[in-house]
Amino acid sequence: MSGSHSSPTQSQSLNDDINALSVDELDRLTQNVLDETASTRPLLGETSPLSVLREEYERGSATFLKQIDYLREKGYTHFRRTRGDGDCFYRSLAFVWVESLMVSPDKAFEASKALSLLESSLDSLEAAGFQKLVYEDFYDALANLVRQIASPAADGSTLTLSALLAAFQDPETSNSIVVFLRLLTSATIRVDEDNYAPFLFHPEIGEPIPPREFCENFVEACGKEADHVQITALTKALNFSIQVAYLDGHGNDGTVNFVEFQIAPPEEGSPPSPVLLYRPGHYDILEKH
Amino acid sequence: MDARLRRVNKEIKDCKSDEASNITVDLVGNSPFHLKGSFLGPEGTPYEGGHFQVDIVIPDSYPFQPVKMKFITKVYHPNVSSASGAICLDILKDAWSPVLTLKSTLISLQSLLCSPEPNDPQDAEVAKHYMTSRASFEETARYWTHIYAGGPGKSGMAKGGVDTKDEVAMAGLEKAHVDKFEALGFERSKVIDVLRRLNYRGANVAKLNDDRIVEELLK
Repeated sequence: MSGSHSSPTQSQSLNDDINALSVDELDRLTQNVLDETASTRPLLGETSPLSVLREEYERGSATFLKQIDYLREKGYTHFRRTRGDGDCFYRSLAFVWVESLMVSPDKAFEASKALSLLESSLDSLEAAGFQKLVYEDFYDALANLVRQIASPAADGSTLTLSALLAAFQDPETSNSIVVFLRLLTSATIRVDEDNYAPFLFHPEIGEPIPPREFCENFVEACGKEADHVQITALTKALNFSIQVAYLDGHGNDGTVNFVEFQIAPPEEGSPPSPVLLYRPGHYDILEKH
Repeated sequence: MDARLRRVNKEIKDCKSDEASNITVDLVGNSPFHLKGSFLGPEGTPYEGGHFQVDIVIPDSYPFQPVKMKFITKVYHPNVSSASGAICLDILKDAWSPVLTLKSTLISLQSLLCSPEPNDPQDAEVAKHYMTSRASFEETARYWTHIYAGGPGKSGMAKGGVDTKDEVAMAGLEKAHVDKFEALGFERSKVIDVLRRLNYRGANVAKLNDDRIVEELLK
């Protein structure tokens, strides 16, 4: 009981301290928290039931709980966590992209189509001014994985889901793939800068920013999160549609906003686009099993 | 071969094959992960004519983590520690990208010499000097380039630090100011140290009265 008098004061002063922080300092604080969880969590985890996520919010926001229940009503059952290191969007997207090739009915065809797309994307990387010595290792990491979908490796095996997960948990492979997607995103914006320029803003200051500066600082730099523009550019470059489910505590009706990043109208009977689960500042993967 | 070694080897080869940039990268010992880079001071700056060497350490998780660089050659610049050679540059920290290479990073250091960022200093005293008295700052930077980096210095100076170092010029101070306080009976090196620390230059001189200086000298 002796502590009961001091604790409100302490928490009050903590609140004051937090309120006194600048946006920059708050960002750094958040980043520290992310860094701490980042060091222990796998780069990309096993799939877990949504009930696990629900438990995390049981003592917190009622809106989040409602939104999680909404996702379950919509038939989503599982999610797959990525590490909160600022690369989460690129890592999630890479995983669902390769996974979608693997599970497609004609995977050999899809894989070879994907490989030629990757190969031709090197032209935009060159056009954007990236050196081959910089991008070739990152390219190989992703291309090798896609190649294994249909062509057996030396030991005669083709890519399995558990091998895919292992590849995404291996820092060198996983981070190489993330960097390749960052370069591809950047190149897509750089070679089509007139179209992208009106949508490029400094994420902290909100001022318009020239394409090159945007790409160098907020696309190519490690650990810089992706926003709408990057998502649009990358899904276009990969010719890959996704949806993003915004679990952000907004709105009172407890629904979740799904935003489509659609490349072409879906063909009849084609499976729905993979879904990334957005929580403020972070992307995971949402799944139906 | 691991990814880091493969990448570093390619980068070293890239530097060697490009003679136009005047950027060199050499091994320090047997390890390809400890290197020495060098470049020429940019024209039209106080660093012109100098030859600057940089210590380069490639971390384990390169190129996903930034390369570690610091100046071996002493440099008088707001974003470089005049004591340790440590560098304050965003790409060596949170703006690092695996797109950057040893060569492009050394070129960025060269451009940093062209365009100091005194509002984000590594050496606060040098930054103050830069802000209060640009001409005097440039003279000092040129003198350091002459003494440490083999720069030409002022006309009449012997090339490459053959002449003895002038401690007053090294500190970016005026001889008359140092003489004045030395005449009060203080040790010359102490006077230089205090005047440098208090940024006794340009318009700042009028803001610092003699009592304040003496008080500092007596500490």
